[in-house]
Amino acid sequence: MLGIGLLLNGSLRMSDDVWPFGPMSQYAFSPSGNTTIVITRVEGLLADGRRINLPLRVETAGISRAEIEARIPEITADPSLMRSVTDGWTSRHTAEPPLQRVWLVQDQTRLVDGRLGPTRLVELATWELPS
Amino acid sequence: MRTLRSVVSWFMPVVPESRVAVLRTVLYLFVIIDIHLIVRDPIPLSRHPELYQPLMLERLLRLPAPSVPLTVTLYLILMVGCLLAAANVLPRLAGGVVAAAFTWWTAIGMSYGKVDHDHLPLVVALWVLPTVGVIADRWRSMERSAQAGWALKCIQISVVFTYFLSALTKIRSGGWSVTSWPESSILLWAIVRRPHGLGQFLLPHPELLHIMQWCSFTAELTAVVVLWLRGRALLAAAVFWMGFHVFTLALLYIHFAPTAICWLAFAPLERLGPWLRRVKARRRQRTGRRSAGHPVPVLRDHPVDSGS
Repeated sequence: MLGIGLLLNGSLRMSDDVWPFGPMSQYAFSPSGNTTIVITRVEGLLADGRRINLPLRVETAGISRAEIEARIPEITADPSLMRSVTDGWTSRHTAEPPLQRVWLVQDQTRLVDGRLGPTRLVELATWELPS
Repeated sequence: MRTLRSVVSWFMPVVPESRVAVLRTVLYLFVIIDIHLIVRDPIPLSRHPELYQPLMLERLLRLPAPSVPLTVTLYLILMVGCLLAAANVLPRLAGGVVAAAFTWWTAIGMSYGKVDHDHLPLVVALWVLPTVGVIADRWRSMERSAQAGWALKCIQISVVFTYFLSALTKIRSGGWSVTSWPESSILLWAIVRRPHGLGQFLLPHPELLHIMQWCSFTAELTAVVVLWLRGRALLAAAVFWMGFHVFTLALLYIHFAPTAICWLAFAPLERLGPWLRRVKARRRQRTGRRSAGHPVPVLRDHPVDSGS
């Protein structure tokens, strides 16, 4: 009974902070038909001149996209926080040339009346890795 | 008084304890899979203390910030604890340790910005399963108890509440409106962000996505009914929700495995032990290794001794 009460309270009044009694908020919001959908990515410039995507997954970078998206304001204020991605990626890709610079970017897709509209690339932050 | 008694008997039905013994084995083995495939990031995340934002639970209990030694220790505790608990060995001690360690492990995984909601039934299950205590004869137990019934009821409630509460959250986030979420562009949004599965073929058909949103919202809002279903109706509901999870997996690559596995709390798992013994006995008969006079379980009967 107490558990049910805590769960109802979490869903009706609280935030994710009270996990495991928080609201089931995954995919629970209601984006309008004219919203902008963003996909956050990190791109890196390698020492050989290639600009590549650093996939934000635990297996490839040690951290997932959701964790980076949750910290966008902090990263734009202090781009060196992208170290969490570069460290993870570098330790898992030792054969690749070293990273020199990374960008926090977003693919922003606009919806128009509930249908897919144009997509544009936006740079949010840049960080030069210390050599 | 009679109402109180019927409420108590609904919350604490007398059920076979072997059902709990089997469920323990399945769920503790699932936890091992979970920490490798689902909540698999606490160790790599613990290398980034600058991104750690403790949940209320961690703040209230004054849990130390995650570090690599701490998360590796939790991992080892979970591995040992799960193997013991899956074998129904030291169920209270091993089960209690796994419950605490897994709750902490999962909380760490959700303290870096993203909180998932598929673990509620599993976390509840891990806390209530040890309360049944020692089950003599484990999978073969012939005992029945209200304690086992209460544990299973708690898991069942948390399974259906995962759906029901998600519908409530959708109503709340849509400004207390029942139409805002089903009429929104949420599935389109989700498919664009996870362009891996079947969903891409549905991108040009937003009307179809709205119909799917109405169906899932209605199912979630009415999921509590499952608690009162029996027999074929319960089986139909379980098949429907398994189909729902397979569909979201195909559509978006989103699985709800920790919730889906807990549907087993509704299943007559006590039949698994006798069924396995019958299969073994038949195999022995076929290979001709059975000696004369050896007791053989009778179909649809409880074997006294299968000799295995």
